[in-house]
Amino acid sequence: MSAARARWRTTAVGLSFLLPNFLGFLILTLVPVVLLFYYGFTEWDVFGGATWSGLDNFRRMWGDASFWTALGNTGYYAVFHIPLTLAVSLGLALLLNRKLRGVGFFRTVAFFPYITSVVAIAQIWNMLFSPGFGPVNEVLRWLGVANPPGWTTSADASMPAVILVGTWRDMGYYMLLFLAGLQTIPGQLYEAARVDGANAWQRFRAVTLPGLRPTTFFITVLLTIGSFKVFDLILVMTDGGPGQSTLVLSQYIYKKGFQENEFGYASAVSIVLFAICFLVTVVQFVVNKRGSS
Amino acid sequence: MKRSLAAVTAFLLAVTGCGSGGDAEDSGPITLTLAGWSLATTPEFKTLADGFRGTHPDITIELKEYDANNYDTQMTADLAAGKAPDVYVQKNLKNFYTYQHGKQLADVSDVAAKLGSSVGGLAPYQVDGKTWAIPYRSDSWVLFYNKALFDKAGVEHPDGTWTWERYSAAAKELTTKLKASGSKALGTYQHTWQSTAQGFALAQTAGAELPSGNFGYLKPYYETALGLQTAGAQVSFGDATTNSLTYQAQFGKQQAAMMPMGTWYIATLLSQQAKGDADSFAWGIAPAPQLTTSATPVTFADPTGFGINPKSSERKIAAAKDFLAYAAGPDAAKALAGIGVTPADNASAVDTILALEGAPNDEVSRLAYTKHDTKPENPVSEYTAPLQNVLKDLHTAIMSGSKPIDAAITEAQDRAESEVLSK
Repeated sequence: MSAARARWRTTAVGLSFLLPNFLGFLILTLVPVVLLFYYGFTEWDVFGGATWSGLDNFRRMWGDASFWTALGNTGYYAVFHIPLTLAVSLGLALLLNRKLRGVGFFRTVAFFPYITSVVAIAQIWNMLFSPGFGPVNEVLRWLGVANPPGWTTSADASMPAVILVGTWRDMGYYMLLFLAGLQTIPGQLYEAARVDGANAWQRFRAVTLPGLRPTTFFITVLLTIGSFKVFDLILVMTDGGPGQSTLVLSQYIYKKGFQENEFGYASAVSIVLFAICFLVTVVQFVVNKRGSS
Repeated sequence: MKRSLAAVTAFLLAVTGCGSGGDAEDSGPITLTLAGWSLATTPEFKTLADGFRGTHPDITIELKEYDANNYDTQMTADLAAGKAPDVYVQKNLKNFYTYQHGKQLADVSDVAAKLGSSVGGLAPYQVDGKTWAIPYRSDSWVLFYNKALFDKAGVEHPDGTWTWERYSAAAKELTTKLKASGSKALGTYQHTWQSTAQGFALAQTAGAELPSGNFGYLKPYYETALGLQTAGAQVSFGDATTNSLTYQAQFGKQQAAMMPMGTWYIATLLSQQAKGDADSFAWGIAPAPQLTTSATPVTFADPTGFGINPKSSERKIAAAKDFLAYAAGPDAAKALAGIGVTPADNASAVDTILALEGAPNDEVSRLAYTKHDTKPENPVSEYTAPLQNVLKDLHTAIMSGSKPIDAAITEAQDRAESEVLSK
C-alpha cells in the first residue's frame, strides 16, 4: 500500500513539473491542431459557427492553380534548401572543430544569423540584393557580369535569392548540432584510420560520416519540416512576389485565412501541409532504420 | 470549504469570460470603448473623444489601442471572441464586407438619415437598404507637387486639368531639367502600392468593375507607370521595394517633384515639415491626373468610418449612435481639420485645413481639395478581398518586369475566374 502510494507520489511530482509546459502546449498548440482537422471540412468565416462541407475544400484545392503553384514553390525551396544547408553547416562544423586560435569567436559569428531578427535579415538582404545599386550586383558587374539577376525583384531569381538567405540564416544552428555530433565520435577511430594510412578524405568518408549518422538524420528531419513550413523569411523578404514566384504553402494558408477570412479552406490546406510533412518524415525514418540495420 | 468553492467558481467564470459583465444602471454616466491605432501618432481618435465629451459630459470614451498594420486581423479576433470595443473603425472598405456579412455591425440607418448632404463616403456602407457604418474621414487621392522644384526646373505648375499623358510628359521634362540644374530629384514618385495604378484605373475608366473579372482597363495605367520607370523619371519598382523606400521621404526629402497620394498625407507633411523630419519647401496639391479631361476630376479612396458592435448593450448602442452622429457632423469636421485630417464633410473643412501653417492656399489646391468625384478603392463585395490579392500579384509581376502587361492581365483574369468568382 505505502509503496504504491510512494510511486503515485513520485508520478504526481513528475507530472506537476511537466504541467506548466504541457498546459501551454495543450491550450496553444494541441487544441488548435485538433480543431484544425475539424475546420478543414467546414466553411467558416470566423464569425458564428462553421458549416460542415465535407470534402468540398479538398475538391476545390484540386482545381486551385494557386495552391499547386504554392506547393511547387514549397518543393522548390525544400529541394535546394535542405541539401545546401546540410552541406554548408557540415562544412562549417568540420572547419570549426579544430583547435584554432579564436575558434569560439568564429563559432559565435556563424551562429549570429540564427539569433538575428528575421525582419532585420530580410531588410538588409533586400538592400544587398537591390538590382540598381545593391552591393551584390555591384560586385557581379565588377566581375564582368553584364546583366546581373534582379534577385528579389525578378520572378526567375527571387526563389534562389530566398534560398540563399534561408541557408545563410539556418547554417549556424545546424552547425552547432553537427559540432555536438562530432564530439561523440571517439578519437581512437581517427587514430586507427591514420595508422592504417587513410588520408583526410578517406577518414571523412569512413569515420566522420558514419559517426555523424544519427546527427545527420536528426538534422535532415528538422530541416525538412522547417523547409516545408518556411514562412516568416519569405513573407518579409518578398511577400510571395514578384507575381506568385515565391508564394509558399504556409503563406498561402495565411492569405486565405487571415486576409480573405476563409478559415475552413485555409485549415484544409494546412491539413495537406501537415500530411506532407508527416509522410516525408515517416519515409525518412523508414529509410534510416533500413540503413542502420 | 463553501467559501473557497465559491471563490474557485468566481475565478473560473472570470477566466472563461462568463458571467454578466453588465451595466446594471439605466441612467448616469456611461463609458464607451473606441478602437484606434498608433494612438501616439494618430491624434484623431483622442480629438474626437475629447470633442464629444464637450457636448456629452456624461459619456466617457475610452480608447483601446490596436496595431495599425494588423488592425483588421486583431479586430476580427476580438469580435469573434466577444471582446471587441463598442465602437470600432472601418479602416478601409476591403474588410467591411466581412464585418457586415458576419453580422458584426449594428444597423445605424437612423444616424445616416440625419446627416447633412455634404458628408461624403456614405454610399459604400449601405447594403440591402440599410446603413452599417458612418464615415468620419473621407480622403481622396490628389497630386502633391513641389513648387520649389517646379520653379527650379522652369516647368509650369499643374493647372487642374492634367491628364496622365500631360503628367507623364511633365515628369520626364522635370527629370531632365532638374538633372541639368544639378538636382538629384526625379520627376515623380508613384509608391509601390497596387492602388497607385489600379485605384485610378478602376475609378476613372468607364464601365470598369472589379467583380466583373475583366481587368483590361488596367493596361493604359501600367503603360504609363512602366513608361515613367523606363524613362528614369521615377525610381524603379525593384529599387523602391528592396530599399523599403517610404513615400514620406521621397516627397518630403525632395527626392521627387510630384507624387500622387491621398489627402491624409497633408497632415503628415505639415507635421514633418514643422518638426524638421521633412525639408521646408513650398508645395501644393492638384487634382489627380485624368484619363480624359472631365469637368469634375475623378479619383479614388476608401472612406474611414465607425461601426457599432452589435453585442454592446442597448444603452451603449444608443450612446454610440450619438457619437457617430457627432463624428460625421460639422463640429467634428472642424476639429479634425484643425489637426490636418480630412473629415467626411470636406466642404466644412477646407477653410480650416488649407489655412494651417505651411498648407497651400492657392486656387488649384482648393479645387483639388473640394471638387472631386471619389470612387471607392475597394467596392464592397464578397469578392473584393480575394480579387485584390490576385491583382496584387499582377501588380508586382508587371512592375518588376517579370511579366508583360497583357500576359499578366490574362493570368489575373483566369485566376479571378477559377479561384474567386466561380466558387
